Amino acid sequence: MQIAVTIPTILRPLTGDQKQVTAHGRTLAELIDNLEQFYPGIKKRLVAEGKAHSFVNIYVNDDDVRFADNLDTTLRDGDNVTILPAVAGG
Amino acid sequence: MTRPLIDCSLRAAFGSEPPGFAAVCHRLGYQAGALGMRCEQTEGLRTAHGFSFGLCTPFTKVVDTTLHGWGEQDSRPVSEMLLQAASGLMSVHGRAAGGARPLGVDYVSTLASVLALQGAIACAVGQLRGGRFDRCDTSLYAAALLAVGQYLADATAPEDAEHLLPGRLFADDQPPFVSADGVRFELEALEAGPWLRFWEAAGVAREVAGAGWRSFQLRYAKAIAPQPAPLLAAVAALPYARVYELAGESGIALCPVRTLAERARDPDAASLLAQGPWAFSFTGRPGGEWPATAPGKLPLSGLTVVESCRRIQGPLAGHLLASLGAKVIRIEPPGGDSLRGMPPMAGGCSARFDALNRLKMVIEIDLKSSAGQAQLKALVRDADVFLHNWAPGKAAEFGLDKGDLLQVQPALIYAYAGGWGSDSDAPGLPGTDFMAQAWTGVASRIAEASGARGGTLFTALDVLGGAVAAQGITAALFGRFVANAGGAVYTSLAGAASLLCGDALEAAVRGEDLSPNVAASAVFATADGLLAVDCSRGQSRVRLSSVLGLPIAADFDELAPQLAQALLAKRAEDWLRLFEEAGIPAALVIEDLSRLPLDALASRSMSAGAYAQVNSPWSFT
Repeated sequence: MQIAVTIPTILRPLTGDQKQVTAHGRTLAELIDNLEQFYPGIKKRLVAEGKAHSFVNIYVNDDDVRFADNLDTTLRDGDNVTILPAVAGG
Repeated sequence: MTRPLIDCSLRAAFGSEPPGFAAVCHRLGYQAGALGMRCEQTEGLRTAHGFSFGLCTPFTKVVDTTLHGWGEQDSRPVSEMLLQAASGLMSVHGRAAGGARPLGVDYVSTLASVLALQGAIACAVGQLRGGRFDRCDTSLYAAALLAVGQYLADATAPEDAEHLLPGRLFADDQPPFVSADGVRFELEALEAGPWLRFWEAAGVAREVAGAGWRSFQLRYAKAIAPQPAPLLAAVAALPYARVYELAGESGIALCPVRTLAERARDPDAASLLAQGPWAFSFTGRPGGEWPATAPGKLPLSGLTVVESCRRIQGPLAGHLLASLGAKVIRIEPPGGDSLRGMPPMAGGCSARFDALNRLKMVIEIDLKSSAGQAQLKALVRDADVFLHNWAPGKAAEFGLDKGDLLQVQPALIYAYAGGWGSDSDAPGLPGTDFMAQAWTGVASRIAEASGARGGTLFTALDVLGGAVAAQGITAALFGRFVANAGGAVYTSLAGAASLLCGDALEAAVRGEDLSPNVAASAVFATADGLLAVDCSRGQSRVRLSSVLGLPIAADFDELAPQLAQALLAKRAEDWLRLFEEAGIPAALVIEDLSRLPLDALASRSMSAGAYAQVNSPWSFT
């Protein structure tokens, strides 16, 4: 299962400056584990204690996974995952 | 009530300021009084194109300050509305307000009054430390550009720059929300969880709530927050009391858009007006030891500020102190502030974050650990100011409250830039800009004056609150050098709000209704671009009618429709040239912020870095 993942600038040092990478996984959690194998260090920038960091938004085809099944959100072949840092409030 | 500039005076030609300077002059007089100064009438300081004042203290030479309009050697007529137009402020407000339009409050004038007084007091501090600093210059336009600094950074970032224009979204799709019984209210959620619980309880599907969140959580950065129709409809079907219940159950904060009359009935409103937007206290314990190094080119150079602040208000205060020459050490959590990664990026850092923090040195400290707390105390031991904006109760939890740190450094100024006046006055809401606008009556005032439903998604109170905090710190430093004792200064978004709407709030406290001054001036479409024309003076209306070959109108309401039609005939720049020759106050409306650095006047107040950086609003000689 091929999933295209869009990487924000802040994490590109971990992906050799690639803006988009591909990875595999039936769920978002698996996808992140798979990313970690190729780009070590990325997982801890995305999740802690089994949850996505509050300042990291992850979208599957434009849908925020916090409003789906979080890290258990299922992925399908051809899905696009976008990682976007965002902090609410001011 | 402690007033740090007691025995000092402010001399100026009050009441005979040039057109466009009335609000700034009035606000300056008010702040001077609240800081303990006498205001003395001096006709000799009367100037044609700016407002000059002398700060006299028993311990320094007079500090002469001039607040220019557009800038030094630029005598074009100025007004609040034109400044908002030419700085892009109108356009940032207009992103969610349905088009470029004035905020309807004297925002630039208020901000400029804070900065001008701060510059003057900083000079006095510089003199007390052995420097010369007898003159400070700033301008209304510099204040306006400072206000849009972060938005400008986003619009000119090298990578994924924001391209947000006014009038592209419907104002009615943006907060505040409206309940079935017609109550306008703001919501605040800093995490997705409570937001989702609230909307699910209101009967909205998860994915729709998610689409709303995507827009809502970025409203502080983008000044837009369009909400999906089902969200607006869900609360529009519920009475406010029910919405309030759901908010309580979900853990989301909710605040009705209160009027200034409601705000005036709060117990703290009158005292806040009498005290001014700062609360000072000095320990009376002589500290005595401060760096004897003579300052350099800037009045606060040689002084050290330790800052532990997130988001906008506190970091902007630190930025202003750094612009005055202080060495600012910014404390960030291990791994750095998460805002650093927020796009658009410039040189590996969020452009808008950099705009507020580029002048600082950063140290990562885990303040939750005892080792981190000790590390902070060690930094404070050699510092002059400690500034934080932690949530209420955190300072005590960390063992880093005023008493703890004054023990470490008796000459310290302990500064807190929060949301609400004091714990006892806090309405129990998160101290964020849009909650504060709604609570304090600012949102309602802006709505009334500019025909909008709520306040502005431009972070008006964060920016003004940041300037007020930096000004309060500067005044406290003056107090420290004079009293030879450390102390504290507390400021808040609520205090900034009371400064912004001071006159109307004061009237409301007396039970009077001071209607907003809906300026006889407006924004017009031309053959190419928008033009702001200020017709508040009869003379301008006569000249305008003559330039356009129209019959002389009795008032602006009669003139406006004819004007709207006539101005379509030429390009905005061509009209501007004609109007300038005729002495009619007008300005091009900056709609696209990325065009601002191309403007000859604006570019003088900016530096071309990885993005367009707004320079310090002050110059000192």
